[in-house]
Amino acid sequence: MEYDALFHALGLTVLCAPLALVMLLGLASLVGHPFGERTVGRLVQFAIVAGLLASLAVLGLMLWTGTRQVPIALGSWVVLPDYQFEVKLEFDRLSVPFVILSFVLCGVVGSFANKYMHRESGFNRFFVFYALFVLGMVITSLAGTIETLFSGWELVGLSSALLIAFYQERRAPVRNGLRVWVVYRVSDAALLIASIVLHHMTGGGDFDRLLGNMVDAGGVMHAWPDGLAHIAPHQALIVGLLLLLAAAGKSALLPFSDWLPRAMEGPTPSSAVFYGALSVHLGAFLLLRVSPILDISLALCAIVVIVGLSTAIFAAFTERVQTDIKCALSFASLTQVGLIVAEIGLGFRYVALVHIVGHACLRTMQFVRAPTLLHDYRTMDNAIGAIPANHANGAPQWIPVGARSWLYRFAMERGYLDSLLSEFVVRPFVSSFRWCDRLERQWNDWIDGGPASAPIADHGSATSVTLEELL
Amino acid sequence: MAQLETMTAEPEADSNRARLEQAITTAAALLPLPGPITAFAFLNTLQALEHLPFDEGLRQGARLYGCQPYLAEQRYRESLAKGRIRVGDLEAVLRENLGKEAETPVAGLTTRLELQLAMLQYPLRVGPAEEIRWFVLEAEALTQLRSETPQAVRKRFIDETKHWVMRDLRPGDGAGQKKHADPRGARLIADIIERFGEAKIENWSDATWDAFSVQALWRVCREGVLTLPAPARPPVSAVRHRDLLLEATREDSDELVDDILIRFCAAYTDQGFAHWSLPDRDKGFFKSFCELYGEPGGPPRGWMRGLEAELRMVEASGITPLASIAESLERLGVGAEEEEDFITASLLGLRGWAGMLWHMETRGDRVAVRVPAGTVSEFLAIRLILERFALTYVAHEASGYDGPLDRLRPALRRSIGPPPGVSIDQRTFLVFQLTQVLGWCPPALFALTRPQWAALVGEIEAFQGLDRRAVFQQAFERRYRIQVLDALSVRGRIEPKRVPQTRFQASFCLDAREESFRRHLEEVAPDVETFGLAGFYGAAMYYRGAADANYAALCPVVIKPAHWVVEDVVYPLEHTHRRRAKTRRAVGTATRQLHSGSRSFAGGALLAVLGVLASIPLVARVLFPRLTAKLRRAAGRLIQTPPVTRLRLERQSDLPSPTEEGIGYSVQEMAEIGERMLRDMGLTSGFARLVFFFGHGSFCLNNPHKSAYDCGACSGTPGGPNGRALAAMLNDLRVRDILADHGLEIPATTRFIGGMHNTAIDEFMFYDLDLLPNLYLAEFEAAVATLEEVCRRNAHERCRRFESAPLDLTFDEAKRHVEDRSEDLAQTRPEFGNASNAVCFVGRRERTRGLYMDRRSFLASYDPTHDDANHTILARILAAAVPVCEGINMQYYLSYVDNRGWACGTKLPHNVTSLLGVMDGAASDLRPGLPWQSVEIHEPLRLLFVIESTKEAMISIMDRNPVIGNILRNEWAQLAVIDPDSAKIEVFRKGEFKVYEPQTTELPKADSSTEWYRGWRDHLAFAVIEKSDPADELSG
Repeated sequence: MEYDALFHALGLTVLCAPLALVMLLGLASLVGHPFGERTVGRLVQFAIVAGLLASLAVLGLMLWTGTRQVPIALGSWVVLPDYQFEVKLEFDRLSVPFVILSFVLCGVVGSFANKYMHRESGFNRFFVFYALFVLGMVITSLAGTIETLFSGWELVGLSSALLIAFYQERRAPVRNGLRVWVVYRVSDAALLIASIVLHHMTGGGDFDRLLGNMVDAGGVMHAWPDGLAHIAPHQALIVGLLLLLAAAGKSALLPFSDWLPRAMEGPTPSSAVFYGALSVHLGAFLLLRVSPILDISLALCAIVVIVGLSTAIFAAFTERVQTDIKCALSFASLTQVGLIVAEIGLGFRYVALVHIVGHACLRTMQFVRAPTLLHDYRTMDNAIGAIPANHANGAPQWIPVGARSWLYRFAMERGYLDSLLSEFVVRPFVSSFRWCDRLERQWNDWIDGGPASAPIADHGSATSVTLEELL
Repeated sequence: MAQLETMTAEPEADSNRARLEQAITTAAALLPLPGPITAFAFLNTLQALEHLPFDEGLRQGARLYGCQPYLAEQRYRESLAKGRIRVGDLEAVLRENLGKEAETPVAGLTTRLELQLAMLQYPLRVGPAEEIRWFVLEAEALTQLRSETPQAVRKRFIDETKHWVMRDLRPGDGAGQKKHADPRGARLIADIIERFGEAKIENWSDATWDAFSVQALWRVCREGVLTLPAPARPPVSAVRHRDLLLEATREDSDELVDDILIRFCAAYTDQGFAHWSLPDRDKGFFKSFCELYGEPGGPPRGWMRGLEAELRMVEASGITPLASIAESLERLGVGAEEEEDFITASLLGLRGWAGMLWHMETRGDRVAVRVPAGTVSEFLAIRLILERFALTYVAHEASGYDGPLDRLRPALRRSIGPPPGVSIDQRTFLVFQLTQVLGWCPPALFALTRPQWAALVGEIEAFQGLDRRAVFQQAFERRYRIQVLDALSVRGRIEPKRVPQTRFQASFCLDAREESFRRHLEEVAPDVETFGLAGFYGAAMYYRGAADANYAALCPVVIKPAHWVVEDVVYPLEHTHRRRAKTRRAVGTATRQLHSGSRSFAGGALLAVLGVLASIPLVARVLFPRLTAKLRRAAGRLIQTPPVTRLRLERQSDLPSPTEEGIGYSVQEMAEIGERMLRDMGLTSGFARLVFFFGHGSFCLNNPHKSAYDCGACSGTPGGPNGRALAAMLNDLRVRDILADHGLEIPATTRFIGGMHNTAIDEFMFYDLDLLPNLYLAEFEAAVATLEEVCRRNAHERCRRFESAPLDLTFDEAKRHVEDRSEDLAQTRPEFGNASNAVCFVGRRERTRGLYMDRRSFLASYDPTHDDANHTILARILAAAVPVCEGINMQYYLSYVDNRGWACGTKLPHNVTSLLGVMDGAASDLRPGLPWQSVEIHEPLRLLFVIESTKEAMISIMDRNPVIGNILRNEWAQLAVIDPDSAKIEVFRKGEFKVYEPQTTELPKADSSTEWYRGWRDHLAFAVIEKSDPADELSG
């Protein structure tokens, strides 16, 4: 196999290009000497172009040699008798398009952001997070084991939450960033549990073994999406539900849809690449990756379809009443993501993949152009000539008149998801913690023998406190 | 009996309603009024406070808005260090402000002037007690003198302390002699002496003495302050329950209220973005809200429990919004005396949206979808209802308060308690820092009596941070004012002479951006004359172009036009026009469908499959903006309106109206406008064969604030049609006849041409060229060639301010650079608009011709020699120029000073909403003002009007026109006059004119503008641009 070494080298390049970028930008910031704008721009471009070329070369080579699956093992980090943490990349029909898509979009948006963020005080911070995101995307797309996938997944989540809270001097971004982070934690926990469960079932986290992407007894190669997972249907259902939960959190499927519009706090390019294009599709990607599990359990497929479709319908409906471009676009994204998930549930793997790629490109373009909305609308109005004086864009005809106003409010309040979450999840949490806090205080006071006195120096009582005691 | 009651109750209700209405109108006037972002209105945000002196009005506005009125003290100090402000400026300003009080002695140590000057010159650390402690530790402030203390003071300081200790305070010398001259002093510092080892006091090193003196100083200061009564605490100013609740519990009830209101306001004001607009919007804000949220089955939120029932009840009772407000106020326990303050604070709580509603209510002509009168009251009524629910909920959740709302405020005030007082250490530290730079030694301070201490500390504490910043700001302005006035007085020595035998004359908007253009034009073509006028050229109109759907108001926002003008395609091309319009409509409809379809369910799915194709324009536009733009333009040309069009200027009916007959002006009106403009600009003789009137606009992509770069005198729309209209009017022979009757003879050989200057890419277009006789072709083409050369140079000068443009660009590269900028999706600074504006010169161009003014000056032409005794011409020029330029200047001032507070912060997270404005991120208040990217290079200075006229003329104009009077008398803008004959300058300060003594008689000279600015990014000083005569050099 003379190509193995070449594959190995190329595969490493794909991974190391963004890794080196993170290292360079991160270290420079750590030592307090961040690079200038021009250098950052060049580094980002260089790393992404290098990664893109290497992944294109892998694709070419795979087509040339007719291989459908190229695993690249990078060794194990932890080896215990019945557990090992393997780092392994996997090039196949799913990961190659996805990684190429990531590089193309990140490259274009990176070059856009380099000008867009010019002279912004957080310029360097933005690109450090951005590099982290690119790395996360590459790791997630190429992951050959569930642990590797998890680490990429975490990087994407982290960079995404940090970029939402990019304008940390205002309250709303920070709060919304935290909110997204909490949802991500829930979905991460599901993914983590799923991976533990999988370990228990199959003894490892390797996708090839798990999903049966290997040469079977008959000598037939089963690569994605034709893998044959060897677990029982009920096991598949449990694992599948956990993975669906993880995917739902990441892709803002119901019931987590509330966070997507809230994520529109960062600079426009980050919104574009995260919530228009890549990050929001990661849930769908995860489901695609483990699709052989779906094949086993019909019930699971049905649930996936239901979640996907209901998300799509909900989002399409909500989008109709949005009055600002970014929220409208985010719900439009969600509509398509829901459809993609439904497609996956229905078993149309390739359709879903094409849908992802196409949708990501389209949406990025729309997000990046979002500030030009006024210009576009004026051009359109002028061309159409109709004066939009009382533009009464009415309710969809199929909705019964009596229900319209209720439904309008339902859509405007985004399906009450936000309210439900704060009332029935957040509030009990907060009040129970408050209760604990009160208890602790009382306990402390009891031990101290009385409530602590306020240490504020007032004019009259200041005679005892003087700066001279600092000498 | 019952009848009697209703009879007495009614007038009372009426007066209550009238009072409420009045309060709401007063409060609404304080709201920011940016208007729809598609037609950016440059107005002073604090317009409603212009009846107050600048400092007072600004501070009141800042209090209401919760924003900064001036830059941070630190920023001014940096300017001081850089020499942008000089100590002399500070002293002059203080002297002027203090007047006779400057020399008031303070505690026998110093004068008020000296004390305040020291407080300005040296940074004083103030802050909470904890911060001071930290600072003392970090800076070792108790062991060494401040680094700013001058060397001479240091020495004296230690010497005197030493003398004092050794002579007066030291215990006996061992021989049993007690010469404690001062037991009080000895007691005070005995333990400090002990701290350093009393026995070896004779052998103490300099460093020891140093530390000792500082500590002795501290002790003395502290002793002095300790005897003083505590300073008066400022009263709690919060009027809203929410503010108190926030302070008491850290929970913000407005977050709950705003969450709903932002969404609802956006839906209510939507200009047609959402596919599904608000049901029953026509019923008004109040009713449609009640209906929408009154329906059962609403969001299950704790704080909204009961809201539905309440809204249904409100609806059923048929109560008016005003009555509802009155009821809410009563329930909240807001008395009549604080009503207005409370309403103001409540409206300002969501001021962006409230301001937009108010603007839509009062200026329905500027939006497509209007709102009825009284909408702001309805908004307030809803806001107060929601607020009641939110307050009840938050008060219960966060502090367990369950009582009635009208008792909430007293309860909260009690729980907050009095504001933290100032500690002794904090007060002492202020005096302590100051004494070190002023060189007051411990013995001198020790000798102060109690009243003296009170006077000293009182004096120091009275000169607070805001006062200091106000003085800094005035000094900042003074330094620049001196430069301007010096430059003008040096130029003033040249006799103003018009250019004889002009090749052509060109008139521009008075916009500061055109200053550089005119300068370059005069440099390239010394035989050309330029003029400046408010860019709407007197033709205030609603205008609709041949390819436009709607009318736009082309005049300053303070004027409501009374005329309508449309553009028609000429008859021979009408057929092409119709065909192309059809194609455009088809393309437009398709784009619209694509636009909204891509966001829908099935359409999106269909498009997504083809979405990969979107990557082609995406990559192309981001990586190759210029090429893409070219392709796009080429394609656009195929469906553009045909090139030959005409303005429909002449009206058929008697009265103007937006109907077929009512469009246009009467010949008499045209003559009036034409005569007025020519007399305003002082062009009544010496006409060239070609006279241009240029409007201006700016074209750039991906920029919601694009209209802020358009003509400010045309309320944020491109002003080309105005210049075109004026030219067409003046070319009309009937108009010329009328003008000739009025003694204004325009030679038959003179042709007027309208045009438009694109300030983003520096390009010109001309109108009605098909009407230009071929006889003029050669001259016209020569003029165009000159203008093109000037465009390249102007672009070059602009590029020096763009950090991403290298400093070594050639003219051609610079031109290409600015073209790229406007086409680039990622470019957030296509141009800088009027940023850095600081002066407005009204007078003959000859007074400023050849002066490098760095694009910082509005230039309006005015020839005082042609004006009448009543200064009619000047009065009408200023009636537009003063509010327009001051509005622009104040908008920039506030947007720069506190960008996030007064304006809209960085534009990167902006989110276009309702096709009306921008929000920050997912949901926020509507953000008014200019984004940081447009004001970055600004220097916040009040505009300095320099008017070539006499002080008597200005006094009479200020008396006659209250708007101008308020702005100038209350110093929202500065004023100076330059005498038309003697060029003597007088400055208007504090209500009187004072003769200005120039501080220099020479200005730097440069051969060309390029030579002067080359290599510099920052603001540049004035210079005379004059080609040095080679003959001179030879003889020299």
